[in-house]
Amino acid sequence: MKLGVLLSDHKTDSDVLGRLTAEKLGIILVGNGTYLATIKENGKASPILDKTSNLYVLVEDLESRGLSAANVDSRVKPVTYSDVVDLIFNDYEKIIWL
Amino acid sequence: MGKLTIGCFSSLVGSLSLDFAVKLSEAAVKKGHDVDLWVSSNATMLSKKGQKPFKDYSHLAKTLTELFASGKFKAVACEACAEARGYHKDDTMEGWGRRSMDWYLASAFSADRVLLIGGD
Amino acid sequence: MAITKLAFIVRSLPYKTEASRLALTHAIASQTVEIYLEDGDNVEPVLCYIGDGVLNCLKNQQAGKHYGITSLEQHAKNSLLLDLKVMICKEDVDKFGLKEDQLVMDAEDIGGETNAQLVPYSEIQKVMEEVDHLQFF
Repeated sequence: MKLGVLLSDHKTDSDVLGRLTAEKLGIILVGNGTYLATIKENGKASPILDKTSNLYVLVEDLESRGLSAANVDSRVKPVTYSDVVDLIFNDYEKIIWL
Repeated sequence: MGKLTIGCFSSLVGSLSLDFAVKLSEAAVKKGHDVDLWVSSNATMLSKKGQKPFKDYSHLAKTLTELFASGKFKAVACEACAEARGYHKDDTMEGWGRRSMDWYLASAFSADRVLLIGGD
Repeated sequence: MAITKLAFIVRSLPYKTEASRLALTHAIASQTVEIYLEDGDNVEPVLCYIGDGVLNCLKNQQAGKHYGITSLEQHAKNSLLLDLKVMICKEDVDKFGLKEDQLVMDAEDIGGETNAQLVPYSEIQKVMEEVDHLQFF
């Protein structure tokens, strides 16, 4: 399956996200999930960013929190709401919110 | 073009998850998609009329009015969830429906994509 | 004539938020969805408990006694009474040190004939792949 995960929390439920597998997995960081794209705890990027190469962050939510697209981990692509709609309809068959 | 069904439980004021649902609806409708929005639990308050704008709180009523005018957007609130919160049919914003939970499942039946936003 | 398969994946603890309760009440609402659909069309729900969500299945919940509300145990029984497919993740049950007899596995006391299945996570993963839409609560 092609699964898109809208990740809205900074402290993630690793029991759930860690076990999810998909032929194509995308993680779209929204809400407080956007911290995962920029903040390094103890100098380390979030292990969530190792889970897939299809990583996105919602710019509106990033900027709302005083974060900048310029500081986003290079593996994560900044996207708009319009881009998220395209990802939902064109790139993934199933979408979940965590 | 496709149909997106969104279910949301999050509070009108507090988490911004309901804002996400409305902004995603707006972006999808602008691209020509159809959107059904189902609100239950605390999210039913989104359908209450008479919401006044305050700088500290989300104000989504204007966007909803524009979405209803597009003809590509339907929004329905869980009737039991609303009644349990003391909010009755007469208080519902124009454009909204009030139904039982099976409406959401029927919407999901014919949707190309379903997004359920749980939590507070 | 078409069937749309919907997965209701419960990962939240009960009572502090309404999420797991809503998973069950929405899944149970599949019993009346036909009123909105054409003849022969229907939705097929499957209810899966994973992670913390397995704790919704504990027996002897007394939320009715103390808070006057329907317990998640009662909703779990109702879902079995209505013959919903219910799966509980075995690894997570084991992680919490629980045994099968501590969980709501049937609804015989209210006339139900369907049992919940205690399954490895890989079985739930298969369900996630088979259904048309996934919903996490």
